[in-house]
Amino acid sequence: MGQILAAATLAATPLLLAALGGLLNRRGGIVNIALEGKMLLGAILAVVVSAETGSWVAGLAAATVGSAFAGLLFSLAITRAGANEIIAGLGFNILVAGLIGYALDDEGTYQPAGVATIPRIDIPGIDAIPVLGDVLSDKDPITYLAWLAVPATAWFLASTRAGLRLRAAGAPGDSAYALGLRALAIRDASTVAAGAFAGLAGGQLALGLVGLFNQGMVAGRGFIALAAFYFGRARPWPTAGACAIFALFDAIQIRLQQEGFSTQLVSTLPYLVVVVVLTITAIQTQRREAPA
Amino acid sequence: MAAADVPAVRPGAPPGSALAGALRSVGMSLLPVAAAFVVGAVVLAVTGWDPISVYRVMAREAFGSTARVESTLAAATPLLFAGLATAIAFRGGVFNIGVDGCFVLGGLAAAWLGAALTGLPGWLLIPVCVLAGMITGAVWSAPPAFLRVRLGVDEVVSTLMLNFVAIGLASWIVNTLLLAQGTANSASSPVAPQAELPGLGGDVTLGLVIALVGVVFYGVWTRWSASGYELRMTGLNPAFAQTAGISVPRVVFQAMLWSGLVAGAGGAAHALGVVHRFVDGFSPGYGFTGIAIALLARNGAVGIVLASILFGALASAGATVQLFSDIPLDIVDVLQGTIMVFAAVQVVDLRRRIRRQAA
Repeated sequence: MGQILAAATLAATPLLLAALGGLLNRRGGIVNIALEGKMLLGAILAVVVSAETGSWVAGLAAATVGSAFAGLLFSLAITRAGANEIIAGLGFNILVAGLIGYALDDEGTYQPAGVATIPRIDIPGIDAIPVLGDVLSDKDPITYLAWLAVPATAWFLASTRAGLRLRAAGAPGDSAYALGLRALAIRDASTVAAGAFAGLAGGQLALGLVGLFNQGMVAGRGFIALAAFYFGRARPWPTAGACAIFALFDAIQIRLQQEGFSTQLVSTLPYLVVVVVLTITAIQTQRREAPA
Repeated sequence: MAAADVPAVRPGAPPGSALAGALRSVGMSLLPVAAAFVVGAVVLAVTGWDPISVYRVMAREAFGSTARVESTLAAATPLLFAGLATAIAFRGGVFNIGVDGCFVLGGLAAAWLGAALTGLPGWLLIPVCVLAGMITGAVWSAPPAFLRVRLGVDEVVSTLMLNFVAIGLASWIVNTLLLAQGTANSASSPVAPQAELPGLGGDVTLGLVIALVGVVFYGVWTRWSASGYELRMTGLNPAFAQTAGISVPRVVFQAMLWSGLVAGAGGAAHALGVVHRFVDGFSPGYGFTGIAIALLARNGAVGIVLASILFGALASAGATVQLFSDIPLDIVDVLQGTIMVFAAVQVVDLRRRIRRQAA
């Protein structure tokens, strides 16, 4: 039990970061299908820079900034050149995977010498408590940061001027223009933020546990993050809850396999859950709109 | 448009010049391809390759001999199905990105029956397997179609998510129910010899013919039939189509089912013609290449064939180039991704936008 919770907490971190980024982007009016590619980009940048500098902080900073910049280019294609966000996103994912695969020259894995990994923090006192210790102690700082980002995002959206403007930019119709806001620039900013979050998520994935890069290491987490903020209807706490549940699925998989359940089926659950949630939401909306 | 701008127009051609329109759409399709080759050239040059000579080798490896052309056509076959399946949905304004899932499950169904019904003769077994693939594909796209039409659930997200479900489901089935005796690696038993699609030289199989027949049907259907007209109208302007008496929900629902059916047929043809069984990783993202193809083709029948051959050529040439000159096959993904990003940019919109900003 304790092991599962500890594993789930670790698995939740990249999902949570990427989902929060996607959530901000969604609130700004863009569905970001490219989280997967940006996580992959963040992972490789983190490994390369961490190995070069010997500093995991520098690695994560490179991952964050690099993916944020990729997010800017991606955003400009959508907001300024009128690209369809879904197709551009799918294309972006293929392009990034292709570029990295090309650079690695079918090695698939990149493990340079001297990669600095993210240290774990033990919290004395708490680490001895069952359950709570498994969840709270012996985690990397990015994990704490990711969970702190949840209330921060909620506060940002609800109580700050920038958050209000972001929501206006993403609202249907011309409300942002009516308020005299530059909706496109705000949308760009939210896509840059999504890139930064997803890049950090990828960096944590690469430097948090193993300190290497593998072509398959993101393994659909960008899409699970997408599923999470759709599940949470782009609200921070429900989205975080979805990430926790999906991470728990992930951690339980190995245990379920021992019990004879199939990992392949368990791995489809997040995606299936999203379709179910979308359906329920649609039914509720229809009921509400139907005349009594 | 001034009359002088219009090149010699065939008498009886509709006003506005079909030829000029065709030229413009060809130009708009070539733009993303050109952009992709420029990006690819930069990548190659940065890594120390001469882009021109690499492209020359690729062209030779794709089309240089009968054997290479056959290899290109074989690689283009699953892409024709995927491109056609995507185009059917896009034509009707339905953003179906679930073609990959339908392809995978259609292939699974065909591989299963092809290995199970060994008593049937080939002339019966092949149609049965392909039909099973079609039905499976159509059935798999029915739930998102229903959700879109009845409840207004965004088909982009539902079909994207169902792709992952399809792949996981197929993987589970092949690892439990259909696992071949004595294989450890996620493969079903090979299909009966008479279930394998007849070859037409090289790696080309009857699958190519089936795909081309499908594309021709599609071209004729969308251009000259009443229901094809309804599909186009719905795609162009659903509100207008509804006002004109077209049942938009029915058209959308049918478009998604046809899309799934064609994708399922593609999976069946791939299973019977190429893989001869079902394996994990059955589709290396054919459905997503299909999106790029439908975009480049602007959903036109001729364009689907040309774009499929382009991507087939890239895939087959990329594989041999990797073999002989050490250039990673991933360069093909770089080209495909760039084509998608640039094809997503609406050039017409861009020009209109610039004009509006200038005004």
